[in-house]
Amino acid sequence: MNSLYVGGVGLSAPGLSGAGGGGAAADTGAQALPPALRRRASPLSLLVCDALAQAAAEAGADLAAIPVLLGSAYGEIGTAVEMMRSFGDGAGLPSPIRFHNSVHNTPVAYASIGRGNRGFSTALAAGPETVAMALVEAAALLAERGGDALVVFADEPLPEPFAPARPWVAAAAALHLATAPLASPRARLGVPRRGSAAAAALAPALEAHPCAGAFALVEAVRRGRSGPVSIGPPPDGWVVEVEAGAS
Amino acid sequence: MPGSGPPISIPIMAVSVGNALGGCTADVVAALEAGRSGLRPCALDVPREMVCGAFAGEPAPLPAALASHDSRVSRIAAQVLAGVSRELERAVRRWGPERVALVVGTSTGGVAESERAHAAHRRTGRLPARFDFDRQHAFHGLLDVVRALTGARGPAYVVSAACASSGKVLGSARRLIAGGVADAVVAGGVDTLCQTTLRGFSSLEALSRTACRPFSAARDGTSIGEGAAFLLLEREGEAPVRLLGVGETSDAHHMTQPDPEGRGAARAMREALEQGGVAPEEVDHVNAHGTATPANDAAESSAIVGLLGTSPLVSSTKGYTGHLLGAAGATEAVFAALALERGFVPASLGAEPLDPAVRANVAVRARSGRLRTALSNSFAFGGVNVSVLLGAAP
Repeated sequence: MNSLYVGGVGLSAPGLSGAGGGGAAADTGAQALPPALRRRASPLSLLVCDALAQAAAEAGADLAAIPVLLGSAYGEIGTAVEMMRSFGDGAGLPSPIRFHNSVHNTPVAYASIGRGNRGFSTALAAGPETVAMALVEAAALLAERGGDALVVFADEPLPEPFAPARPWVAAAAALHLATAPLASPRARLGVPRRGSAAAAALAPALEAHPCAGAFALVEAVRRGRSGPVSIGPPPDGWVVEVEAGAS
Repeated sequence: MPGSGPPISIPIMAVSVGNALGGCTADVVAALEAGRSGLRPCALDVPREMVCGAFAGEPAPLPAALASHDSRVSRIAAQVLAGVSRELERAVRRWGPERVALVVGTSTGGVAESERAHAAHRRTGRLPARFDFDRQHAFHGLLDVVRALTGARGPAYVVSAACASSGKVLGSARRLIAGGVADAVVAGGVDTLCQTTLRGFSSLEALSRTACRPFSAARDGTSIGEGAAFLLLEREGEAPVRLLGVGETSDAHHMTQPDPEGRGAARAMREALEQGGVAPEEVDHVNAHGTATPANDAAESSAIVGLLGTSPLVSSTKGYTGHLLGAAGATEAVFAALALERGFVPASLGAEPLDPAVRANVAVRARSGRLRTALSNSFAFGGVNVSVLLGAAP
């Protein structure tokens, strides 16, 4: 597999600003989904659609036709735990919307339905290696099919009673990737490899985020920085080489 | 065309499957050939009458070194994985552990463990002392177990796209080998019965009270099951069945309802055929998604007939195992591989009387004879479609 070209990035982390934060507001998803879908969509789906829309707009990509990949360690965990609460009553049934919103691929399903995209989509997870494995799958997909793809990384907080000692906030980051040189690429990425690199400084609420490496990667691309970026897990996980603006 | 170029043919060096029909491949095959269903009244605490395909027997505990990862989903995965262990050890020796990848499909992972922990928390205000969310619920907990048991050290991830999850792992496996990322891939799927899916499908009014009857005029919903299946794919090797193509599309129609005309399903099948360089008339068998919901079976039949005509023998095996959700794709790909290898198409249990609106050539009785190629379909929430094309060795 060869290196990939970044045509655009997206970031949706409501309430955060600064390194690795910023982007997105109260109307998260407003530009990405029609109102009827937006009312039904899960909070994670809104973040994902928002980040995807940003990356696609920056790259001039068509959200109705481009392959979309989601990497998320825990997926729709908020909805899944909310469903468990409804089981407290022995006769309890979840709402149908909550049930179908609980599957891991929910965010990319809304992205597909919202934009009429009848092509490829997938959703995967690999715990602390989620960012690296999503990039591996994206690189393999692009080697297989050529063209371009959007890969989005997202997780929301683990709800009580499962919240970890070091919590994180809901946030999503997206990259538009292409196999061929672009007219004005933001950066060129190497294929993920095992190795180590200095961890990027992120907003404290993102430091323990399962997709922290994706926020570091987007930050490096946005700031035009070249060099190796650790995409997790620290200290000896996976690394991507970034070459700013390379065509 | 996605995945175009010279056809890539990947040998399937070993398969293993376990579910309500049996805890190992031999028992599952015997039940399929005998036309024996594994569906029984559901023993879980659920709010309405239903049948389920519970895993045959009690899956064995994990090895002591993995005890902190204990979950039903990992136990079932471990038991079924043992069925490919000999060939896998050979593959790891041949290619090296760093060149062997893992791609596992699941829809709910270890959610059943969290459901029990959450119920305990409601009663006592505390989670059980031994409960570990990351090891027993999260998808990477399952991945840890599979990685430890296989010795593989290449890329490893879970694909979770609801009921298409473990059909899509074969698309990932094909890409990883074709792209030079791995020389061998352990691809499979696993899911367990849990409150989330049993109550969730109840809320959608998608469950039958009796064993599901795909393609029948009397069908009234699906039945849920649990199980696992694994396939070992390698860059080179002699095998009775090969992976020829994997079509992956979306309906872009509705979160739970299929496109009524099955257009996304048809495009997935066509994409698989194009990848494999196989003409529609060369397809002899389709293991259908065939959930026995009125909407799915009608749409899928339209898609099959529109693309392939009425020659291929079409079976749904959900009347034997129930709908295995995230394990369905890999399980039914294994069933299709066994059909090619053994020249045996299982009867589509419960299909008679056939729905007259279903024009596909449903195998109401088991059939024997040489089969050239087979498709295995899986469709999912969000309108995700996958179709896996397999071919018998000449």
